[in-house]
Amino acid sequence: MDFLGDGLRRAFALLGSADAEVYGIALLTLKVGCVATILACAAGIPVGYTLATKRFWGRRAALTVVNTALAFPTVVVGLLLYGLLSRRGPLGGLQWLYTWQAIVLGDVILAFPIAAALSAAAVQGVDPRVRRTAETLGAGPWRAAWTVAREARFALAAVITAAFGQTVAEVGAAMIVGGNIRGATRTLTTAVALYTAQGDFGLALALGIVLLIVALLVNVALQVLQGRGHA
Amino acid sequence: MLELRGVRHDYDGRTVLELDAFALKPGMLTAVVGPNGSGKSTLLRLLALLERPTAGAILLDGAVVADPRRRPSTRERRRVTLVEQRPMLLRGTVRDNIAYGLRARGRSATAAATAAAAAADRLGCAGLLDRRRHELSEGEVQRVAIARALAIEPDVLLLDEPASAADRAAAQTLYRTLAEERARRPLAVCLASHQLEDAYRWSDDLRALADGRLSPVTPENLFRVDLPPAGADGMTHAPVGPLAIAVIAERTGPAILAVPPTDIFVSRAPLASSARNVFSGLVTRVARHRPGTVHVTADFGVELVATVTQEAARELGLAPGVPVTFAFKASAVQVF
Repeated sequence: MDFLGDGLRRAFALLGSADAEVYGIALLTLKVGCVATILACAAGIPVGYTLATKRFWGRRAALTVVNTALAFPTVVVGLLLYGLLSRRGPLGGLQWLYTWQAIVLGDVILAFPIAAALSAAAVQGVDPRVRRTAETLGAGPWRAAWTVAREARFALAAVITAAFGQTVAEVGAAMIVGGNIRGATRTLTTAVALYTAQGDFGLALALGIVLLIVALLVNVALQVLQGRGHA
Repeated sequence: MLELRGVRHDYDGRTVLELDAFALKPGMLTAVVGPNGSGKSTLLRLLALLERPTAGAILLDGAVVADPRRRPSTRERRRVTLVEQRPMLLRGTVRDNIAYGLRARGRSATAAATAAAAAADRLGCAGLLDRRRHELSEGEVQRVAIARALAIEPDVLLLDEPASAADRAAAQTLYRTLAEERARRPLAVCLASHQLEDAYRWSDDLRALADGRLSPVTPENLFRVDLPPAGADGMTHAPVGPLAIAVIAERTGPAILAVPPTDIFVSRAPLASSARNVFSGLVTRVARHRPGTVHVTADFGVELVATVTQEAARELGLAPGVPVTFAFKASAVQVF
């Protein structure tokens, strides 16, 4: 159990020493997490809203697909993306393999079903009279959607939090398509995996604690934003 | 102005509304009355262009705006508005709510807030402008919802049980405001109500709905029943609340019973007669109907309405709380 205490001591020492490499890894993790969360939510929340509010052929099938995609193994996504992004793959021309953009792409694919499925559930939880009221008062589709989203803001904030949690905690795809290159694509999770494999449990635990602190800061920021709303 | 033609509407394969023709005219108040589940709310949702009919068409100024394939545009929807039976206020203050429709139409925040204050004033809710939905009573929410609907100056205003949460005084204020609004501009109003007195007093046209169809009879004394099999003489007793109403019926199972108010004999005590239905209760309301006649409502465990002349009402001393007997023949009861 000594390594736990050692890990904690080293975590705070690392944070206090302003280690450039650790801050670089933390900042890259934050950047990848934020960009991937914004993209996944920008695509997933409208899809969730549509699944929750519109009646169209294939809606149930689409919901099932989205819910199933929640259980998509991250390494499988990494493997598929590796095939697509490798030099001979259909997206090889982008030259994204082993770049932070590739990690973002993998995270977006993994976080999109979370954003879509949970926002569909969030919107379904809103009193149907809200959308009817907006429509009877002459709101167009966008204003009606915005009105419903305002009513579901707490649940939608939880959707964003969950999507962000997925993107910063993901390791399988990031390892395969990012390559865990020091100073370029090493994120907190891939670094933890590396140092654990090398037997440096203390440093791995220290980076794990940094990851938790990053997640905590983002959640606090979201809470503050939510706190501005009233009933 | 707003018209349904050959409209049928199904939910889960069950027909809940079937109307050959139904039209709302500018400046007129149409009341739709009928028992719960008769299709009133479905009718209003179709008129509000919120749903497309399963069959038939909805026309606005003679042009089809909704049918099974055509979805109305936002511009078309903006000419009609609906206040639901249990209206919902959106997030924000009462002022934000009343201004919502105006903001949706591109009015500036200042202009919308000014118009919202004026609309609130007309409905007597100017003092509520800065409150939020959880700070309002049910009746206040209903008033705000009507102010919110009037603020957008629709061509057609649809109201589902608009006075259900209001006391008598508030209901009268509401109907007076609607009358003033219609005097000011050619607003078509359609309201679904179970308050027959109000419907008679304030509407220009009264329609009764029963089982999703326009009823061929007057809207009083309509009951949804489950008819037991008739005896050899063709007579059966339909349970209506605590009453067993004797009817001549050739059918069994779910049906609508109608007791025409003009076919009810009213007396202070039971009389020997051929009437198979004789019920004693207390008068709850006496209201003027058409010139020379009054509607007498009495409670027998369920309410029944009878039409008598003003002279008869005076002679019998009919007033709320007075014991009364209603009698009508089994053959007078209509079954459909």
